[in-house]
Amino acid sequence: MAKAAEADIKKEVPPIEKPHEIPPNWEPNVLAIACHYCAFAAADLAGVMRLSYPTNVKVVRIPCTGKLDYIHILHAFERGVDGVFVAG
Amino acid sequence: MIVGQQKPFEEIWGMVKDFKKVLVYGCNTCVAICHAGGEKEAEILASMIRMKAAQEGVNMKVGHAAVMRHCEPEYFEPLMDEVRTYDLVLSTACGVGVNFLAQKIGNIPVYPGINTTFYGAVPKPGEFIELCAGCGNCILHLTGGICPIARCTKSLMNGPCGGTDRGKCEISQDVDCGWYLIVERMKQLGRLEDLVEIQPPRDWSTSFHGGPRRVILEHLQDFEEKEEKKA
Repeated sequence: MAKAAEADIKKEVPPIEKPHEIPPNWEPNVLAIACHYCAFAAADLAGVMRLSYPTNVKVVRIPCTGKLDYIHILHAFERGVDGVFVAG
Repeated sequence: MIVGQQKPFEEIWGMVKDFKKVLVYGCNTCVAICHAGGEKEAEILASMIRMKAAQEGVNMKVGHAAVMRHCEPEYFEPLMDEVRTYDLVLSTACGVGVNFLAQKIGNIPVYPGINTTFYGAVPKPGEFIELCAGCGNCILHLTGGICPIARCTKSLMNGPCGGTDRGKCEISQDVDCGWYLIVERMKQLGRLEDLVEIQPPRDWSTSFHGGPRRVILEHLQDFEEKEEKKA
């Protein structure tokens, strides 16, 4: 009973984001945040293997995804990034 | 410590949207521990307000800052000159911090960014529970260290009501019956007989029912203040 009421309250909360229409041919600007020891090493290996990936993805290396904080992701969004991909 | 919860973002946006320069001002003691209003949360909230302002096309500058305690002037006074350059301070301190800063700041409004909830303990990370109601007249020695004021939904003084249900309170199965806990604790202490004594009606004047409370330690007050009082 209490949980159902809670779910109803959650439903009523309007989204913080203002929805807008996505223009045709739009490509998201994605930031990939990769752990030095695994995901970034994988990206490095992909480079060595001459594998390509889309130009709208930028990779940032961090020492460990455990070091990642909410504020880093929010700063990325503030600077116009559309999506953040965290790998580690 | 004092437990608080951040207000819904829409409510916060409604408060701040008409101001041009907003400071999200965190407090790094109690409300930082409950992840509601410390420096980290103030920075995140400032970022969210900036993004909302950008989406809504509102021209607004949003900064953030934090001090160790909003309830003591020594901590926030060094920052006051900077704080006074803003149009609005959105304080993520507890209600004490908001009140106190509003008294000291002058003509700048101070709005609350969090709802101050209760005095609580932290049994495990991410959980905060109310154990004391700050009623001003402690009887924990009579009840095995478990407060019937804070932990019995009805604040009963002489045992459980008829709503006690296998150790839980009638308001919710998630809430322990305070009096069940007291009885079990007194049994453990071998002092169950002590509960037979009837407690008389309480004097609630020591609680908020007696109006805003104040404690004065004269020996710690400044000499000048004492002189002013005499004059």
